[in-house]
Amino acid sequence: MVEALRDVSLEIKPGEFCAFVGSSGCGKSTLLNLVAGLDLPTSGEIVLDGRSTHNLTSYEWTKIRRETIGIVFQAFHLVHGLTAEENIALPLMLRGENGREIAQRAEEMLDRVGMSHRRRHRPAELSGGEQQRIAIARALVHGPRLLLADEPTGNIDSHQGAAIMALIRELAISGRQTVLLVTHSAQAAQTADYVWTMRDGRLVSRTEHMTELVTP
Amino acid sequence: MPALLRALLLLLTSHVRQWPLRTLLTIVGVALGVSASVAVRTANVDVLRSFEQAVMTVAGPTTLEVSGSETGLDEQVITRVRTIDGVAAASPVILQTAVHMRGEQADQAVQVVGLDLLAEFNTRGFRMSQPATESQLMGMIQPEAVFLGAKLATEWNLSVDDQVDLLIGTRRLTCRVAGILQNESDRTSSWERMAVMDIAAAQISFEMIGKVDRIDIVTDEKKAVEEVAQNLRTVLPSYMTVERPANRTKQVEQMVRAFRLNLTVLSWVGLLVGMFLIYNTMAFAVAQRRREIGIYRAIGMTQSRVAVLFLMEAGFFGLLGGIVGTAAGVTLAQELVTLLSRTISDLYAPVGAGEGGLAWAAQFWSIMLEGILIGCVVSMIGAIGPSLDASRTTTVRALSPGDYEASRQLRVGMLAVMGLSLLVVTGFLSLPGPIRGVPISGYTATLSLLAGLACLAPICVTGLPRRRQYVGRDGGVRGVMRGIAVEHASRSPGRNGVTISALMVGLAIMIGVLVMVRSFRHTVELWVTDTVLADLVVAPSMWLRGTEIGSIGRSLPPLWLNVLSSIPEVAAVDSYRDVRIEVNGQRVAVVSRDLQLHAQWSRYLVRKGESSEQLRRAAEIRGLLVSEVLADRLGVEEGSTLEILTPSGPTRFPIVAVFYDYSTDGGKLLMDRALYQSLWHDDLVTVFPVYLNDGASIDRVRERITHQLSDAVGGGLPPLVISNTELRKEILEIFDRTFLLTYVLEAIAVVIAMLGIVNTLVTSVLERRREFATLRAIGGSAEQIRQLVLWEAAYLGVIGIALGLVGGGLLSLLLIKVINKQSFGWTIQMIVPIGALVQAVMLAGIATLVAGYFPARWAARQPVVEGLRDE
Repeated sequence: MVEALRDVSLEIKPGEFCAFVGSSGCGKSTLLNLVAGLDLPTSGEIVLDGRSTHNLTSYEWTKIRRETIGIVFQAFHLVHGLTAEENIALPLMLRGENGREIAQRAEEMLDRVGMSHRRRHRPAELSGGEQQRIAIARALVHGPRLLLADEPTGNIDSHQGAAIMALIRELAISGRQTVLLVTHSAQAAQTADYVWTMRDGRLVSRTEHMTELVTP
Repeated sequence: MPALLRALLLLLTSHVRQWPLRTLLTIVGVALGVSASVAVRTANVDVLRSFEQAVMTVAGPTTLEVSGSETGLDEQVITRVRTIDGVAAASPVILQTAVHMRGEQADQAVQVVGLDLLAEFNTRGFRMSQPATESQLMGMIQPEAVFLGAKLATEWNLSVDDQVDLLIGTRRLTCRVAGILQNESDRTSSWERMAVMDIAAAQISFEMIGKVDRIDIVTDEKKAVEEVAQNLRTVLPSYMTVERPANRTKQVEQMVRAFRLNLTVLSWVGLLVGMFLIYNTMAFAVAQRRREIGIYRAIGMTQSRVAVLFLMEAGFFGLLGGIVGTAAGVTLAQELVTLLSRTISDLYAPVGAGEGGLAWAAQFWSIMLEGILIGCVVSMIGAIGPSLDASRTTTVRALSPGDYEASRQLRVGMLAVMGLSLLVVTGFLSLPGPIRGVPISGYTATLSLLAGLACLAPICVTGLPRRRQYVGRDGGVRGVMRGIAVEHASRSPGRNGVTISALMVGLAIMIGVLVMVRSFRHTVELWVTDTVLADLVVAPSMWLRGTEIGSIGRSLPPLWLNVLSSIPEVAAVDSYRDVRIEVNGQRVAVVSRDLQLHAQWSRYLVRKGESSEQLRRAAEIRGLLVSEVLADRLGVEEGSTLEILTPSGPTRFPIVAVFYDYSTDGGKLLMDRALYQSLWHDDLVTVFPVYLNDGASIDRVRERITHQLSDAVGGGLPPLVISNTELRKEILEIFDRTFLLTYVLEAIAVVIAMLGIVNTLVTSVLERRREFATLRAIGGSAEQIRQLVLWEAAYLGVIGIALGLVGGGLLSLLLIKVINKQSFGWTIQMIVPIGALVQAVMLAGIATLVAGYFPARWAARQPVVEGLRDE
């Protein structure tokens, strides 16, 4: 068995924007997956909103993700068959919210990510940057208190990457969301309030300002 | 082993290891298809082989046989036969059936052969355990002496000098076991299950004094057999047939040809559906390994070798499916042999059930080889398309992210046009008549219909989705789940089209056959209701069992007419005689009865005119009524004449009417009893239809008949006295038994189609692991993922069922109007059995959802993180 994370202990306060950097395989994404309940720790404990997640059932984790967590992926992971608007509305639909509420929230998010003009387009008809904007809107549409972003700029060019990070930062601040960002990009990490550097499954150092960060 | 083969095997085994579940599903599908085909073929061969073996065993050294009608030959004919040039020996034979009695219960029918034992002691392939001393030789020819086959003696627990009770016709005969028949060789022989009597004893026992059933001739070796046969034909009366023993097997084969052919074709449906399954599996394998194919091509594998790689993989599935399917098929055949021989005996001619693996015990390896060959060929044919597709992979595109399905979209329209064209072709193919009695164009039309609908399946997958706006609707989660499912399904028209086609073929065959069988049953019910009007039928105890050879066991004494007529509640009694004769080389039933009486009390469903009028006219002008099947086969109609070779010489009869008849597809002739007796000199009766006075109690009359006739049978088993209701029920039971096998074969095809759905959905789940993981990550529950897969199954199911209904409807028309009409000649009134159709559709729907349930459950359990990582 591979030990992905070891002796990782940290506390992130509400509203903080925290980035994790480190080489491939150092455990950044695993940490994010554990926080999202997509993977389960073999030992240790994750406390969300003061509540232990130890022994939560699969459905309880689903409910936490529906209510509390939004996730942005490197590969966007939009549903191919749905339009941009439908992709954004999907988390609300999965929660079984009423139609009018869903339409309003989707409309609002399309506006906020600047994609209203592309609402009827399918993912295949959008650029990488546009797809990631839709993915961000989808992650935030249900008003989660925690936003997890796993390499959100990994599949787009640096120009669009900067815009995406700015968008995440702006939306997170306005929504008072806590953000956990995993990235390889120093530029992306600069958006965070502070940065944890990881190596071989451990948290190595915390840097408050990007200027102090030593690229691993 | 050549390096190339080693490399191919290496790749093959790695793929099998990678997808064990799909491999298993595919092999099971092929195995089921092969098993149905092997079982039907093996059972078909076995039934006829056991008949052939019985014929050839009894024939011994006989090179020619002389026979007349079922009523037998005058034994004086033998004297004339012996004088004919080229005849070395001629011996009389009686071939009848008796029933072994255990106490007062009828046990088992046994074939009794009457031979001139003194002359033929060691010529027929059996030995007698009893040493042939002079006194014992005398004992052999005593009237009650019977020799039993070794197996019969063991089963009945009898040995030499024991007594055995046999029922012959209606009489009970107590015989003495004069000896046990042993085989002359070590091989199993039909003698083991027969009884032998001396010819004189048999004549007495079967009340055939002065008559024999057959004369067996050994021809002079120096003369050509056909020349001797010709000499005999010139001397003997024309109604007598002179033929080689093997011809009887051929005759039976000819009679059951259409029945066997239809059964065989139906057994191929499983293979056809299995072919779709293989196509599906291989298409998935190609899509899944597109990048891998690109790598092979990049490192030097030629196009043809890529194709060979995939064909080999399909061949491997075929090989394993063939082995498993053959083993299952041989096991299934053991059950089918009994069912099949019963059906053939019911409908055509008495054939014994296969004697414990006559065919397959000796030929197991050749059957296995055949099964493997079928499995491999079917699998490789199914894999041709995907293999060619794999070989044409463009290396650059395969190595870069790309969607091959997109390029196939263009073909969907083309396929649809092809599908519609094939449906038009189906219409044209249904017009021509049969070729040598085989509805070749009807079968081709069926294939064309199924292929046409299969070609329409992809456009149904892509064409049906209607974009709906989900945002803003209440309760949109179901709608969006449905939408995602439909959209995803429509993205793979090729693969899903094949799955739908498999379901469509299974369902179309099921519905087509169901409508045909129900329509046929309805027609038979109408026919029975309209024509079987006697209140009671007095019949021999083994009547309707259809397993007897010879007419004596199926006959009643004519004097019973007086006994029955004397019962006060009886208004009228008819004497019905049914014997088989040959007309223009075809075995035909000749039915004789009192036509005037029948006109007054009952009727036939005549094609033109009114029944009683036609019956009276036939009686008056010594004419015939001919069944529809025979009229079509002989090319005669109302008003024409037909020449028949009767024991009194060739006679030309006017055909008064043609009537619908569903009792045999061999054809039937109906004439007045007086006319029959004058020509055939046969006064026996097969059954007595009895009509009662109004208000008479059927049960009371039945009791009285049984009581009065029990005295007449002298301790034998009383005849059957069957009420009208029981007779109708019995006829319909025979009908249902005939089609039992059909349902088994259909079920196999449907199960294979279901495996196709499981296969497709497993593929779909594998392809969509990332999508499912995403949905789980953004708040979708495991239950919602399960629903998503079930929606997809439902979508495929709905299209498959819709096409299956269309296909089934058209197929039922083809079966009723073309294939059945051309194979058997029956006119069937088509009905639409709504209830049964709803059941079939519901069954297919439920089966689809059940097939979808397991992949759905599996999808819901997939680990989310791995799914998100999956590229």
